[in-house]
Amino acid sequence: MRACLSRILPLTAAALSLASAGGARAETQLNYWLWDALQAPHYQKCADAFHAKHPDITVKVTQYGWTDYWTTLSTGFVSGEAPDVFADHLRSYPEFVSNNQIMDLTPLVQRDKVDTGIYKPGLVDLWTRDGKLYGMPKDWDTVALVYNKDMLDKAGVTVDELKNATWNPKDGGSFEKILARLSLDANGKRGDEPGFDPKRVVQYGLIAPKIGPDAYGQTQWSWLAASAGFKFIDEPWGTKYHYDDPVLAETLTWLRDLWLKKGYALPQKDVGGLGGTALLGAGKGAIVPDGSWNSTWYAQNVSFPYGFVPLPKGPQGRKSMFNGLGDSIWTGTKHPDEAWEWVKFLGSMECQGIIGKAGVVFPAIPEAAKMAQDAFAARGQDVTAFTSEATPDQTFLYPITDYSPQVVSTMNVAFDKIFLEDVPVAPLLKDANDQVNALFQ
Amino acid sequence: MVAAEWSRPAAASGWLRSRPKLRAALQRNVTGWLFILPALIGFAVFYLYPTLRAVEISLTDWNLMRAPKFVGFDNYLKLVDDPRFWQSARITVAYVLYNIPLQTVLGLVLAVLMDRLSKSVALRAVVIAPYLLSNVIAALIWLWLLDPLLGMTNAFLGLLGIPRQSFLATPDLAIMSIAGINIWRHVGLTALLFYAGLQAIPRSLYEAARLEGAGEWTVFRRITLPLLRPVLVFVLVTSVIGSFQIFDTIAVTTQGGPANSTSAIIWYVYESAFRFSKMGYASAMSVVLFAVLILVTILQMRALRAGSSDLE
Amino acid sequence: MTAIALPHASLQRLSPGRIVAWVVLGAFIVCSLFPLWITLKTALVPSATLFDQATLLVPVDVTLDNMRRVLGLAPVNPATPSTPINFALALRNSLIFTLLTVGGQIFFSALAAYAFARIRFIGSTVIFYLFIAATMIPAIVLFIPNFVLIRELGWLNTFQGMVAPTLLMSPFAVFFLRQFFLSTPKELEEAARIDGATPFRTFWSVVLPVHKSAIATLAILLSINAWNDFFWPFLVGRDADVRVMSVALAAFKTQQQSGNPDWTGLTAGTVLSIVPVIALLVLFGRRVVESLQFSGLK
Repeated sequence: MRACLSRILPLTAAALSLASAGGARAETQLNYWLWDALQAPHYQKCADAFHAKHPDITVKVTQYGWTDYWTTLSTGFVSGEAPDVFADHLRSYPEFVSNNQIMDLTPLVQRDKVDTGIYKPGLVDLWTRDGKLYGMPKDWDTVALVYNKDMLDKAGVTVDELKNATWNPKDGGSFEKILARLSLDANGKRGDEPGFDPKRVVQYGLIAPKIGPDAYGQTQWSWLAASAGFKFIDEPWGTKYHYDDPVLAETLTWLRDLWLKKGYALPQKDVGGLGGTALLGAGKGAIVPDGSWNSTWYAQNVSFPYGFVPLPKGPQGRKSMFNGLGDSIWTGTKHPDEAWEWVKFLGSMECQGIIGKAGVVFPAIPEAAKMAQDAFAARGQDVTAFTSEATPDQTFLYPITDYSPQVVSTMNVAFDKIFLEDVPVAPLLKDANDQVNALFQ
Repeated sequence: MVAAEWSRPAAASGWLRSRPKLRAALQRNVTGWLFILPALIGFAVFYLYPTLRAVEISLTDWNLMRAPKFVGFDNYLKLVDDPRFWQSARITVAYVLYNIPLQTVLGLVLAVLMDRLSKSVALRAVVIAPYLLSNVIAALIWLWLLDPLLGMTNAFLGLLGIPRQSFLATPDLAIMSIAGINIWRHVGLTALLFYAGLQAIPRSLYEAARLEGAGEWTVFRRITLPLLRPVLVFVLVTSVIGSFQIFDTIAVTTQGGPANSTSAIIWYVYESAFRFSKMGYASAMSVVLFAVLILVTILQMRALRAGSSDLE
Repeated sequence: MTAIALPHASLQRLSPGRIVAWVVLGAFIVCSLFPLWITLKTALVPSATLFDQATLLVPVDVTLDNMRRVLGLAPVNPATPSTPINFALALRNSLIFTLLTVGGQIFFSALAAYAFARIRFIGSTVIFYLFIAATMIPAIVLFIPNFVLIRELGWLNTFQGMVAPTLLMSPFAVFFLRQFFLSTPKELEEAARIDGATPFRTFWSVVLPVHKSAIATLAILLSINAWNDFFWPFLVGRDADVRVMSVALAAFKTQQQSGNPDWTGLTAGTVLSIVPVIALLVLFGRRVVESLQFSGLK
C-alpha cells in the first residue's frame, strides 16, 4: 500500500509541486540557520561575500527564535529537512554527535590544512570529542552585570562599589547590601532603611532573567553558584551531575529569598512575560546579569545611562559561564563539499571580521574580537566587563554531556518549582539530580 | 433513498443488454462507487490507514531514524508506571472540569438572555466573534492581557485591591487560566447553539405555563431545560471531546510549564513524539486517549439519556 | 414575582429583573470585545512607549509603524533587534491553504454525499457510517502516522503536505450535504434523466445549484476551521514559504533574542490576522451566525 501510494500520489500532485519549485537551478543552494536575530543581517553580509567568491553557491540564511530553533532543528533531522549548516550550541551538540547528525570535520580540516590555532585558546577543545572536531568555532560569550546608572546615582552607589562587590551565600556580602540600597518601595523607602515594605516594591535591585526551559541558569544563577564552588560536572563529557551539592541549594535559597522575603529582586514569576533585559529597559530594576550577546539591545532600546560591570566576587572569585558557539554540518546534507566551503568561510577572518565590525558578539578569532570591542566602543558601549572576564580563572565551561534534552526537561521542572513556589530546595535538587544521573547508567 | 435509473446510450455488451435490470444495477453501483471514490481514498489513506498504523506504531520502539523495533505491549506497560503520564491525565481531567461546566452554564445563560432580550443578528455576531479567531490568536491576546506586569487583568485586579497575579507562571493558576482562555473563546458558540435550540421550543408551551402562573425559574426548569436536552447532549459531548484534546493554547502560552503543570495529555504526546523522538510511546498514549474518549462519550450519552427528547 | 418576558409581550417593561438581565448581557458583550480592543490598542502604540501606555484604556501616542514593520513595509534598520516575520507571506499562505482545503473538501464531499443520498449501491450504508465514525477519532491519533506518511512522500514543508489529509474528505461535510441532498425535489432529477443527462451532469448542473445556500453555509464553516487550523500546519509547514498565519504568529512570539516577545509587533500581526475574520463577520454576519447555529441541529 505504501509503495503504491508513494508512486501515485506524487504524480498526481505534480502540478502543485511544480508551482512551488520554480525553475531548475545550475547553482547550489545551501541552507544556513541561526537563532540570533541581532546577528542575522550580518551573516547575510557574510553570505553575500561568500557568494562573490563562489558564484555557483548561494547561502540562504534563515533565523528562528531560540526555543523554536531547537524544535525545528530536531524535527528537521528526523524529517530530512534539516539545514546544511547551522549555528550549534555546546548543550545540544553531544546529542547530535551520538545520533550521528553532525559531521566530523577533522578529515576535512587536515585535508585542506585549515589552521585551527587562530581561534581563542580553548574553543576548539570545546567542540572536540575523542579527537574529532564537530563544530568550527564561531564566537564566544560571557556574563556580566548591566546596571541603570540613574538608579545607582540616586541611591548613592558608585560604579566602583559595584565593580568591587563581594558575595557569599551566607549573608550576600556587599553585593546584597548594594541590592538593598537599590530597592525602593512604594513609600520611597530603600531596602536598607527601617520600614521598607518588601511586599510593595516599585523598583528592585536585581532582576534575574529566565529564558525558556533551562537547566543551567547561565545568566540567572550559575555565576553565583560557581563563585561559591559549585561545579555542574567534573569535566567535559562527564557522566555525573552535582546538582545535589549543598552549595547550590544554599545559593538558590539565597537568590529566592531576595524576592520571597527581602524584596530586593523581582519575583521570578513576574519575569517571564517580558524577560530580564526588557524589564531593565522598562525601569523595573537596577541590575540585570546578562550575556554579552544582548549588549546591542541596550544600545537600541534604553533611554537612560547604563553600563556593564564584571560579576561580583564570590568565595572562589569571579566566575562567569563561558560559552563558545560553533558551526556544524548536517550529515544528511546533499552538498557536503559546498557546505564545507561555507563553514571554512565562516571560520575565516573574512567572515568573522564582518561580524566583528558589526559589534554584536565576540568572534572566535581574537583579532576579530578586538574589532568587535572597538565597534562597541565606537557606539559608546564599554564592554571590557565581558572581555576582561574571558580568562580561564574567571570562567567555567558550559556543561557538555550527553542526554541534555532530558536533563533540561527534568531540571527545568525542579527549577520552576524552586523559583515559583516556597518549597525546600535541597530535597528537590537531590531528587532531580538522581533522575538526571540515572540517565547515564 | 430514491434509486436513480439512468438510461445510457447503448454501449453495454450484448449479454447485459438482455438483462436491463442487471445492467441498471451495475451502472448504479459503478456510478455510486465512482462518486465516492475520492472521498473513499481520502478516508482510507488519511483516516483508516493511520488509525491502524497508529496501533502498529504503538507496538514498537521507534525514533524515526533507525528502523522500528517491535516491543509488543511494552509501551502500554511503561505508561502505567510513568508518573508523568498520570500527571498529564490528572491535569487533563482537571482542565475539562474547569472548562466545560462553567462554559456550558455561561453559554446557556447567554442564550436565554439573547432569546429574551434581543434577537438582533448584530448581537449574535458580537457574541460569536471570539470563536472566529483561532486558538492561537485567542492565546496570544490573553497572553498579553494576563501579563504579570503589563497586562490589563492585573491592572483591574489592582483597582479592586487584589495583588498582582502571574496567571500563566503560577503552577496552580496556569491550567485554570488556560481553561479561562478557552471559555472566552467558546462561550459564544455554545450560546449560539443553545439559542438555536431555544428557538425550536414552541411558544405555546410558555404561554400555557404563564397562564398557569408559573414563575421564570419554574418555566426554565420544567420546560426549557428538558426540551433543550438534545442540544445539551450535542454541546456537552462535542465540547468534552474537544476539551480533552486541548493543545494549541498550551503550545502558544506555557508549553506545558511551569513545572509541567499545564502538560495536558496531548502536550505530553507531542513532546514524546517530537522532542524526545519516542514515536511508539506517543502512539500508545494516543490510542489510550482514543479509548478513553469513546468510553467518556458512551457514559455521557447514557447519563443524559440522549436518545429521547421530552418534546414527545 | 418577576414577569415572564414573552416575545410578543411588551418589551418596554423595565422591571428590575430586566435591568439586571441587560447588565449581565452587557457584561458578556464587554468581555467579548474588550480583549480585541486592547490588542488593537497595543498594536497601535509605539514600541518605545509600550511600558508606559500598557495599562491605559485609550492610547495617547498612536502609530502605524508596527503594522508596517510586520508586513515588511518599513525600511529594515540593520540594527533592529528582531528579524521581521513576513506576515504578508503568511497571509498569502493561509489564503492558499484555506482555498485549496475548502475547495477540495466541498467538491469531493459533495460527490460522495450525492451518491449516499441518491444512488443505491452496494456498501453505501456501511461506508457512510464508517465516514461518520471517522469523526470520533481524536486528531492526535492520526497526526503521528500522517506525519510519517507525509514525510515518506517527501511532502514536508509543502502545500500538498499540509492540505493532503483533509482535502479529499471531510466527514462533517459529507454528513451535512447528504442531509440537504436527501431533500432535493425528485422531479428535477427525473427531468434531467429523461433529458439523457449523465449522473455527473445531474449532480453538477441540477442538484448543486438547488443547494447553493447550504453549500455557502458549509463553505463558511469549513473556511473558518481551515483558516484557524494550527496543529497540523505547525507539524508539517515550518518553512517560511508555506507557513500559515497561525504558525507564523506562534513563531513570532519566540523571535526576540532577549527572550521576551515583541509585543507591539505581535499584536500588530494578530490584528492583521483578525481583519479577514472581522470582515467576514461584518459582510456576512447573518449567514455566519446562522451557519454556526445550524451546525448543532442534526
